Amino acid sequence: SSEDKITVHFINRDGEKLTAKGKPGDSLLDVVVDNNLDIDGFGACEGTLACSTCHLIFEDHIFEKLDAITDEEMDMLDLAYGLTETSRLGCQICLKKSMNDMTVRVPEAVADVRQSVDMSKNS
Amino acid sequence: SLPGEKKEFLQNGPDLQDFVSGDLSDKSRWADYKGNLKREKGERLHLPPWLKTKIPMGKNYNKLKNTLRSLNLHTVCEEARCPNIGECWGGGEYATATATIMLMGDTCTRGCRFCSVKTAKNPPPLDPQEPYNTAKAIAAWGLDYVVLTSVDRDDMPDGGAEHFAKTVRHLKERNPKILVECLTPDFRGDLNAVEKVASSGLDVYAHNVETVPALQRKVRDPRANFEQSVRVLKHAKEVQPGVISKTSIMLGLGETDEQIYSTMKLLREADVDCLTLGQYMQPTKRHLKVEEYITPEKFKYWEKVGNDLGFHYTASGPLVRSSYKAGEFFLKNLVEKRKTKAI
Repeated sequence: SSEDKITVHFINRDGEKLTAKGKPGDSLLDVVVDNNLDIDGFGACEGTLACSTCHLIFEDHIFEKLDAITDEEMDMLDLAYGLTETSRLGCQICLKKSMNDMTVRVPEAVADVRQSVDMSKNS
Repeated sequence: SLPGEKKEFLQNGPDLQDFVSGDLSDKSRWADYKGNLKREKGERLHLPPWLKTKIPMGKNYNKLKNTLRSLNLHTVCEEARCPNIGECWGGGEYATATATIMLMGDTCTRGCRFCSVKTAKNPPPLDPQEPYNTAKAIAAWGLDYVVLTSVDRDDMPDGGAEHFAKTVRHLKERNPKILVECLTPDFRGDLNAVEKVASSGLDVYAHNVETVPALQRKVRDPRANFEQSVRVLKHAKEVQPGVISKTSIMLGLGETDEQIYSTMKLLREADVDCLTLGQYMQPTKRHLKVEEYITPEKFKYWEKVGNDLGFHYTASGPLVRSSYKAGEFFLKNLVEKRKTKAI
């Protein structure tokens, strides 16, 4: 029933807020895919811990209560661009009732293109 | 009521007679195509007409599919959903089917944001019969030119280089005349692995840089980068001086013309011989959106730039992929070069 659904707000890279619902146990990747959220290139490896494209930034109080990170997740998370103290991979975080109405931020995937240095000069 | 320009379009645009007669222009020139080519925020671009392909079917296509399945072989054509599959497998104008065999399974250890090949942290172990079966299948087809490629296997100490090399050796044993092109991973920059494959007897060593340096981080897995890929291409030639090197770039991911040009220059400076340029197409909704559809005319422009820069050949077109008509370009080029030598 709709009472069991958990609401999650995603702040997209351009600042736009996307709101979606999921069932307890759904991963945040499931929520993005099932709700067709417009987050570019999210979940390229389909949740197999072989990329870092589902990198998300959590609020402090939510982050503290998340299940401990595994070595495999850590290996991939380490490669993510713009890592923060409250970063995790969305495909590994499953919805719980206590997460209802939480907000997660989708970090930039690369340096802001408007400010990019032409890296070809450095090679 | 309708805005002025729409009213004008209704007055002056095609009418029922045009459709019935079947006479509409083939819309391969961008001037005839009225849709948007550059993505605006929040939208998803529609596929322009020059990128629409026929559904693959036919005797050749089915025969190939069955042969591959019976030998437990995979093709990147199927796994990455190549739009040319009908044309290449069907045999094209010269009735020679081309397929790009994907070695080491259909599951990759990386998740790049442009590629829909399956990903897993620990894919199934390699099939030790694969080098033998592949050589057998290719011999059965009587192909003149074959492209071998693979998934990334970061879970293996040599990245699968020995398996790759073994396949080439078996192939050349069975058919010394066949031309072999290997499109390899970066082996995480392991130059010994590169050497293993480069010295296996292949004719063309290919490795794709995929995009301009500024977009590497956005498009490819973070374990890949431009400098590493160029090192791979350079090293192949160092350890095997007679080999031809080749690379490929996808356009339409947001790169600028200046970036494309400077990338092409960098590649030529690294003595890369052959270059292919194609249009990026979004394989699934979990992958990057197309930022721009480059027109056929623009692709032709880049082909000229490539030729002027001195590449042996530059294959450039919306549907061109790394191994599209690879045999034909190579052979045509080789034949022409040999002719000028003989003169």
